[in-house]
Amino acid sequence: MEEAFVGATIPRDLGKIVGVESKTRFKAEAFTKAFLKNSLKQPWKHDLKSMLSHKAVLLDYARPKKDKSKRKKKAAKGLNARQKKEMKIFQIKPEHQRYELFLPLHELWRQYMIDLCGGLGPMSSPQSVQQKLVKADFHGAILTVIRSKCPSYVGTTGILVQEFKHVFKLITKEDRLKVIPKRNCVFEVEINGFVSHLYGNKFEQRAGDRSAKKMKVRGSIDL
Amino acid sequence: MAALMKDKEAYQRLNFLYQAAHCVLSQNPENTELARFYCFTQKTITKRLVLKQDPSVKRTICKRCCSPLIPGVTATTRQRRNKRKTRFTVMRCLSCGQSKTLLNDPEYSLWVDRPEAQLENQKQTDQVPKDNKKNLKNKKGGQLPPSQSSASTQQQQELPSTSGSKQD
Repeated sequence: MEEAFVGATIPRDLGKIVGVESKTRFKAEAFTKAFLKNSLKQPWKHDLKSMLSHKAVLLDYARPKKDKSKRKKKAAKGLNARQKKEMKIFQIKPEHQRYELFLPLHELWRQYMIDLCGGLGPMSSPQSVQQKLVKADFHGAILTVIRSKCPSYVGTTGILVQEFKHVFKLITKEDRLKVIPKRNCVFEVEINGFVSHLYGNKFEQRAGDRSAKKMKVRGSIDL
Repeated sequence: MAALMKDKEAYQRLNFLYQAAHCVLSQNPENTELARFYCFTQKTITKRLVLKQDPSVKRTICKRCCSPLIPGVTATTRQRRNKRKTRFTVMRCLSCGQSKTLLNDPEYSLWVDRPEAQLENQKQTDQVPKDNKKNLKNKKGGQLPPSQSSASTQQQQELPSTSGSKQD
């Protein structure tokens, strides 16, 4: 086989028959890198480029044997909090904080919102939409801080990437990850011309818990 | 009836989270942290609301660290067999090392795939939960291009209308 065929894209008519679509060059490269990084032996992990320049790549390898007595005890258990902290389980690495990477997520979120509210035309009543928004998921939404006790937060716009109990993590257009507390902030969400305000004081729950708990009408918010 | 309607929203949310995890991974295969976070939220929601997920979904999420298992990207799949020659598919999460062993047997089928498990065979009225299960199955297409995913959303838009007619 000639080597040129390795990087070649699948011809379109052939791809239709098989049902495969070859990805763009950038995506394919990213995939190859991630695949090699995950499936190569430990000490080679740092220099992928030199590995790729060689012709033969050994993908599967014999793992070093572990003592079985230890593994059987902890087989199906989850991780505890300390292990999670050590693994940095939910921390986004700085090289992934790019705004354009999250645009498809935002597109997906809009689809989901339109589904949830059943069309979202001018006819749908704002009350029912807002009631659904309370239980909805906001990962991928574009949020803007419109009011806050701290003036430096006002005007921040970005795609919501992670929602924690007291904090939103937004990624802004300048590729920066911003952490904004929910307390004493008012956020604005825009879906298809429908603008809604989220009062951060009422949202101080984890993203998963919010769908289970009832929102109570209590007090007023003056900001 | 109100309980069923509320569950439908929750199922939509689960669907979205699962798709979002796959969307993030398809953008950048190394960003497992975020995908894991979304699957973790999905898991907590099912825990809090006591919802049942389809095995096809559950089997693609790591039990230990909640990352979505995609062969080649976040997991390795190997075929193994034991001394009695029964074959297994072993999926191993690359980030935490937890492995799943699934039986390969053409004779065996899951409980949900069997005809007596379907609700319509027991009661004729309960159509809505079954539809939701189908939604969850559709979630497998998280990596699909936008044209196909929009097709699945169209299906979902039709769903409320069909269930409404059944209520009448």
